[in-house]
Amino acid sequence: MNRQPRALLSVLLIGVIAFVAWRWWSGARPDSPDGGTEIVFSETSTRGGTLTSSLRSEPRTFNRLVARDVPTELFSTFTGSKLVRVNRATQEVEPSIAESWTVSSDNKTWTLKLRDGVTWSDGTPFTSADVLFSFQAIYDPKVESLVASSLMIGGKPMTVTAPDARTVVITLPATAGPGIALLDNLQLFAKHKYEGALKKGTLAREMGVAAPPSEFATLGPFVLKSYTPGQRIIFDRNPRYWKKDAAGIQLPYLDQVILEIVPDQNAEVVRLQAGQIDTLQQHIRLEDIATLRPLEQQGKLRLIELGVSTDPDAFFFNLRSTYWEKDRRRDWITRKEFRRAISHAVDREAFANTVFLGAGVPIWGPVTTGNQKWFSPNIQRYDHSVERARELLAELGLTNRDSDEWLEDAKGTEARFTVLVFRGNSSLERGATVLRDELKKAGVAVDIVPLEQGLVIDRMLKGDFESIFMAFTATSLDPGLNADFWLSSGSAHVWNMRQPKPATDWEKQIDDLMVTVIGNVDQTERYKAFLEIQKIFADNLPVLYFVAPRLYMGVSTRVGGVTPSILRPQLLWNVERMTVQQAR
Amino acid sequence: MGRYLLTRLVFALLLVFIVSSAAWLLTRVVPGTFVDQECVTLSPKECDDLRKRLGLDRPLWAEYLSWLSHAVRFDFGESLLYSRPVGPLIVERAANTAMLATIALVAATLIGIPLGIYSGTRAGIGRAIVRTLSVIAVSVPPLIGSLALVFLASRTGWFPVGGMSSAGGAEMTWAAWLADVARHLPLPALALAIPMAATLERLQSEAIAASSREPFVAASRARGVARARSILSHAWPVSLRPILGLYGVMIGTLFSGSFIVEVVTSWPGLGRLMWDALKARDLFLVAGCAATGALFLAAGTLIADLLLAYTDPRVRSGERA
Repeated sequence: MNRQPRALLSVLLIGVIAFVAWRWWSGARPDSPDGGTEIVFSETSTRGGTLTSSLRSEPRTFNRLVARDVPTELFSTFTGSKLVRVNRATQEVEPSIAESWTVSSDNKTWTLKLRDGVTWSDGTPFTSADVLFSFQAIYDPKVESLVASSLMIGGKPMTVTAPDARTVVITLPATAGPGIALLDNLQLFAKHKYEGALKKGTLAREMGVAAPPSEFATLGPFVLKSYTPGQRIIFDRNPRYWKKDAAGIQLPYLDQVILEIVPDQNAEVVRLQAGQIDTLQQHIRLEDIATLRPLEQQGKLRLIELGVSTDPDAFFFNLRSTYWEKDRRRDWITRKEFRRAISHAVDREAFANTVFLGAGVPIWGPVTTGNQKWFSPNIQRYDHSVERARELLAELGLTNRDSDEWLEDAKGTEARFTVLVFRGNSSLERGATVLRDELKKAGVAVDIVPLEQGLVIDRMLKGDFESIFMAFTATSLDPGLNADFWLSSGSAHVWNMRQPKPATDWEKQIDDLMVTVIGNVDQTERYKAFLEIQKIFADNLPVLYFVAPRLYMGVSTRVGGVTPSILRPQLLWNVERMTVQQAR
Repeated sequence: MGRYLLTRLVFALLLVFIVSSAAWLLTRVVPGTFVDQECVTLSPKECDDLRKRLGLDRPLWAEYLSWLSHAVRFDFGESLLYSRPVGPLIVERAANTAMLATIALVAATLIGIPLGIYSGTRAGIGRAIVRTLSVIAVSVPPLIGSLALVFLASRTGWFPVGGMSSAGGAEMTWAAWLADVARHLPLPALALAIPMAATLERLQSEAIAASSREPFVAASRARGVARARSILSHAWPVSLRPILGLYGVMIGTLFSGSFIVEVVTSWPGLGRLMWDALKARDLFLVAGCAATGALFLAAGTLIADLLLAYTDPRVRSGERA
């Protein structure tokens, strides 16, 4: 027997064995994560149990003053309490440790009454001195806190006094449009624990990931039990938590929350499928939904639609005039007509189908229907029309002057530009490809340059780019709290950052209207001003938006008390009221 | 022998210095720094303060000299990402990687070498099956192999889908913790071991086939030594030379951590640490991880050379001469 038939026979044999194994294996999936016993859910249990979620990255620190990444944010959600908090589902301000408050007639002074009997997790009573200390820590220049600017009005700090142990008086340097919702940014720190560190100037280094959990004094529903680098963070129920439900039962309902650190998104989904985690850190990729549907049909998983994303992918040109002054394309590339032509040229339906597998809605501005409070349905829309795009381009002098498929200006310069995109982000990379293909139909060439995320941001900060297609994460749905994006002086005014004075009339108009959005306490006036801002924005299109995806969360059916929010952490923001049905 | 070891030690130190310096410098000069993402939403002053606090505001040469002056004392600075000294961070993760690498290496050896001896000295359908399987295993990229194993684990429940231990490990007795880790080991260990075993099988198969044709093997058979004994006692030791050469690289690669396998299987090892450090542009941690990897590579090649001298009589006699 020569070698060839033998090799063929062996391949055939392996194939048969693999097929038989597959058939057997297809019916072999265990019903429980432990691979043996079937979980029978208790019908009545709401108290106790462990909820397990994933976490994509490691915590750098547990100190919210110096970090605001997802792990630190979750730590602060689980272990912290606020004076007042913004309900992530309703967007309304609700009392927390401050049980009530009054506002002065000039809207510049808030007097807050603190709850009686609140204690830190180590048993020390919580008083107004802790609130004073927290403000002091946040504003201390030695701490270099990342949250300081969010608690300043016009760059000036608030003045805080404490007439007695349960009263806090906060005086603002000017009126604040978002009102007392600003205090949602205030993280409270235990004076008895960290006063020494603040005096020594070492507070920024406190609450590190290596600190023993017993050193933390917190106010939230959970306390840190352990952090095992690379593996998990475990939180135990805080028996001293101050909050009770309507029936008088002390919260939280859960005994424990575990955050399993799973850096790979594919592995994260597999763990959810296997029932080893109850929910994911963030929304499910649209391409994974089909994989998870069978589990939903089996009653093991719930897929919750959160609504339309409030952070759609954005496409923008560099609008700094200095960048283009020596470029042959300067006569047309920064003109709003060019951006309008692009908006007309892109078929948003095709975009939604290709990039978001059909689960997306066309949009024409940064505020999507996911942000119902501030969304404006009446902004300028640019319907899909390649003909209209070509007309606008022709008005800019861009016509096809040779035999190729691209347009040229009068000097013969091709209508071509480069777009930077985050490498490895599948929806952005697909989106950039759709943009290139759609603009090709209008005669505009797009060169896609996928770069590592840090590199794109570096180029953006330095203003060294032609155009970028990227995603932003808004810190709040209230535009008054995202002023850096709208104001021409803002550090997130991505198309032309940190302008000493507005470069264009329309940016000045937006700056002027933002004064109302930031500082006026009349919500109707604020809304009217912001509608006008959206109109100006849609007219000038400094940033183009095409489609916002619908977001979905996956959560095990054993989890109850879920109140989804479009803002992160989408489910865990209300972890104190979540429950799990426990296996008997 | 002493002189040889000293030379290898100097070589190892030089390798560690060059690799860690190159890693530090490359991470530093590539556009984009650790603080850039934070700076998007910070005022220029806040951004400058952050750079100053992290020591990223000095000229390149000043930063490098400062880092180097500490690095020569094996102090690789403080991780920007974790705000902790790099040394203990690496030791923590290196221990996890070492455990995984040892198991994977042993598994690969126990699977690959016997199969290689078998396929290199036999003919027939068995040999063809082994060779076909090894081609498949060598061809599958580590990412796909790891994901396939994760998928297998989730479908069958034979072993945990990922991680190194179960929640509550801290409260377990030492023996229970060890048993728990042993339950978590098969997934990442197999993901690492399967392609290595296949490589070893292919190399061993070719090597033993060649050494079996050597005159001294024929002579042993002529003296009446049984075939199996002749192969194992005479042909096999000689065939180990290329295998042990590969071992050096394997040890270095395995012990410096495979980031793909560690990321996919959520194993908290050195590869994953380096990957996180690279993503965040944490130059101190990148340099520390690179230095550790280089150290393992140097140690791996040294161990392989010593093993070679021990197993191959020709090498030993060469040394005596």
